[in-house]
Amino acid sequence: MPSAELTLGLRNLYIIPSRFGALWLATTALLLLVAIQTTSNSTLLLAFVMLALMLLAMFLTHDTLQGLALRCGEPAPSFAAESATYPLLIETRHRRPPLRLRFRKVPESAFVQLSAGITLVGLSWKPEQRGWQQPPQLQIETIAPLGLFICWTRWHPPKQQLIWPRRRPGPVQEKHPPRWRDGLDEWQDLRPVREGERPAVVDWAGVAKGRPLQAKVFSVPEDVDRILEPAPGVSTEQAMEHLADRIWTLQKRGERYGLRLPSTSLPPMRGLQHRNACLEALATE
Amino acid sequence: MNRLARQRFLQPGTFAWLAIPPLLLQCLALNWSAALTWPTYGLVICALLKLWRGSKPFDRRLAALLQLLSAGLLASQLQGLLATILQLIAVSAAFAGLLGHELGGMLSLRGLLRRSLQLLLAALPLALVLFLFVPRIAPLWTTELGPRRGAVTGLSSNLDPLSIEQLATVNASAARVSISGVETLPTNGYWRVLVHEQFDGRRWQHRDAAFSRQPNRGLLNESEISQWWVVEPSSTRAVPWDGRSKPAAKDQWVTSEGELMVGAASRQKRSFRLSKGTDPMGWQRRPPFKSERKQPPASLPRLNELGGRFRSLPTNQERLVAVERWFKSQPFRYSLTPGSMTDLDNFLFESQVGFCGHYASALAAVMRSADVPARVVSGYLGGRQIDPITGTHYLELRQSDAHAWVEVWLEGSGWQQVDPSLWADRNVLDNVNQGQQQTFNSWSDQANWSFGEWIQGQWWGLDMAWTRWWLGLDQASQQAWFQAVLGRQQRWLGLLVVLACMASLSLGLVMVQLRLGSRQPLEQSLRLLADLGVTPMPGETFSELCQRAATAHPDRSRLLSAMAHHHQVLTHALLTAHQRREHLHQWWRSQRELASAKR
Repeated sequence: MPSAELTLGLRNLYIIPSRFGALWLATTALLLLVAIQTTSNSTLLLAFVMLALMLLAMFLTHDTLQGLALRCGEPAPSFAAESATYPLLIETRHRRPPLRLRFRKVPESAFVQLSAGITLVGLSWKPEQRGWQQPPQLQIETIAPLGLFICWTRWHPPKQQLIWPRRRPGPVQEKHPPRWRDGLDEWQDLRPVREGERPAVVDWAGVAKGRPLQAKVFSVPEDVDRILEPAPGVSTEQAMEHLADRIWTLQKRGERYGLRLPSTSLPPMRGLQHRNACLEALATE
Repeated sequence: MNRLARQRFLQPGTFAWLAIPPLLLQCLALNWSAALTWPTYGLVICALLKLWRGSKPFDRRLAALLQLLSAGLLASQLQGLLATILQLIAVSAAFAGLLGHELGGMLSLRGLLRRSLQLLLAALPLALVLFLFVPRIAPLWTTELGPRRGAVTGLSSNLDPLSIEQLATVNASAARVSISGVETLPTNGYWRVLVHEQFDGRRWQHRDAAFSRQPNRGLLNESEISQWWVVEPSSTRAVPWDGRSKPAAKDQWVTSEGELMVGAASRQKRSFRLSKGTDPMGWQRRPPFKSERKQPPASLPRLNELGGRFRSLPTNQERLVAVERWFKSQPFRYSLTPGSMTDLDNFLFESQVGFCGHYASALAAVMRSADVPARVVSGYLGGRQIDPITGTHYLELRQSDAHAWVEVWLEGSGWQQVDPSLWADRNVLDNVNQGQQQTFNSWSDQANWSFGEWIQGQWWGLDMAWTRWWLGLDQASQQAWFQAVLGRQQRWLGLLVVLACMASLSLGLVMVQLRLGSRQPLEQSLRLLADLGVTPMPGETFSELCQRAATAHPDRSRLLSAMAHHHQVLTHALLTAHQRREHLHQWWRSQRELASAKR
């Protein structure tokens, strides 16, 4: 059962000599041999100092991680097959040497140098599936201060991250429902009337008041409602991906759209909240 | 307080580069023909290349390790005081370089140096426990890791004075000896090195004993050590000694000719100790070999004729006295520029001018032709006493102190030393050579020293003291003090080592932790506030905490708000280094005042 908070200590930290540590130990052994063969006190003392440093480094490397408290932040939604950032809060009572955080089986890692207090670290990973996803196992490791030992712990961050379907352009079924359009009076600006202008956009009221013939300018010139539906004959996953891409594009163009899925249906609206609601519906469908 | 994670910043390896010059300097002092020299050169060059060209983090680590390894190899070859200081600098710098690389710009250069020295000091208790308590073992196999060739000045195993028209006097140091329990050092002593027993009519040759270790079983207590020697590189394995002292270590032995051998290779600086000896040594009682009785060849008719005259005398002693009388009756002159001579007949009966080599060769040859076993010994005579202000006084032998004399076999008393150079007339010396005479050296008078010589004398005094102390910590002294401390309970040594290791490791950890904790001003402030009974609540900033504390303790509100202010400025403002220091200082002052107000 993954815990909401992890405090690093003796029970969850593991430590082994690193490759460099093994090399260090071999060097110490070589120096010891040279010291015996040449009966040199200085070489002998150096070999013993290196051995003592190795033993000290074991404790110091362990201390680099011990006492750290890890918590999950509030992960922001992200698209599948794209790099997602997972927030982690790390609390420490004092400054720490550099440590490395990464999700297992993810090539990218973050090197962090913590100062006293709480530090927010964003770790990237690449989710493949849509829906509420749990990131892979987290690995925190350090070799500081001497690189002789590697100390690490692994933890499953419990908080799930919402992953929207992957964005992939493709066919989407659009329906334009009849819409009672008001707001023709809610024009934003006036411009000179062009040839063949629709009479509906002419500012007749202004003409009546003695102003020249002008056309009304509306903020959304082609204000058409669409209801997006999965295209027929396409697999559900692919349809979701196409819908996600279409929603993203429409939102960018500032258009109104609604979504109708087998289990949910969202009326046509605009705005980020609407987009997120739609994408969440796609993710959890 | 939150700070975004940042990429690790690779600090330029300032300290790693600092380790290179001391290593290179020591490389210059190495002898090219030593077995360990070339691996050492290779390691230093590898470290240099790794530092220069290495781009991966592992390369930097490897460079530090290579530096440490080469410092260790250098330490096994160069053991003087200067070399040890350079090795210490190289090791500290290499370690600081490694630490700087791993901590990735977390500390300033000064902080880094402090931290690395702190870690080294923390490792020292455990290292010293291992160094002192872990029983030393003798070399696992017999190797000559030292150099076999190399340019050295000094005594030669081939004594051929007739080929030398002018004796070059080299003023380089040959050896230094410090003798315990003696106020005035013997500046007219004979220090024997090589025995030349083979005579071919012209040269006296030293027969090099095959390299065979004759382990010296009797290890002695520290208190019996009477002489500490430092011998400069020479071409001979034999080292100077007085012929009476006893070897004190397992790798020293005395040959049947009376040469002292030490295990270390001759082409590097050697240091060894001797203990006081009283009884005549075995070599003095050893009857002459056949080679030591061999008559001079017939190519020296006049010399053989002279020797033949003394054969009629009954004892070797009487023959020696007669030969001495003959020498003193002749107008022999001592000179370092005798000119060329064809053979010993030419020296004895025509030119009658020569230096110690001529006299020793001639006397030994005459004695042999008189049927008295004889051989030539080369070594050093005299030396000067140096009283450094820093350490114990010592006797310095220079190459110009080189001397040759004769040993003859006298029934009843064994091999006896005879110096025929003393029989020559010294009053008619060449003016040129007056300053270089072995027995009457002008530079044994301290008033004649130059400032450079004085400095060198002082330095060698320090070096001698260091050598005495550092080389004294060897297997023999370790066993002596085990005996003194544990007595018969030596079976508990293993347990003692383990316990001492654990204790020293704990001590090291405490040393590391103590300093780390107290250096953080915020932590100190929080501890101070906790002592006042104010602990941070979730989500509370340091300023809010200080405000809350000021409400609870209005009498200290000024100090508390000052602390909060300095923390705010240090955390958020863009400051120059000077301003930063100033604010830190003010923060420390507020803390100190708060702590004293609390008391």
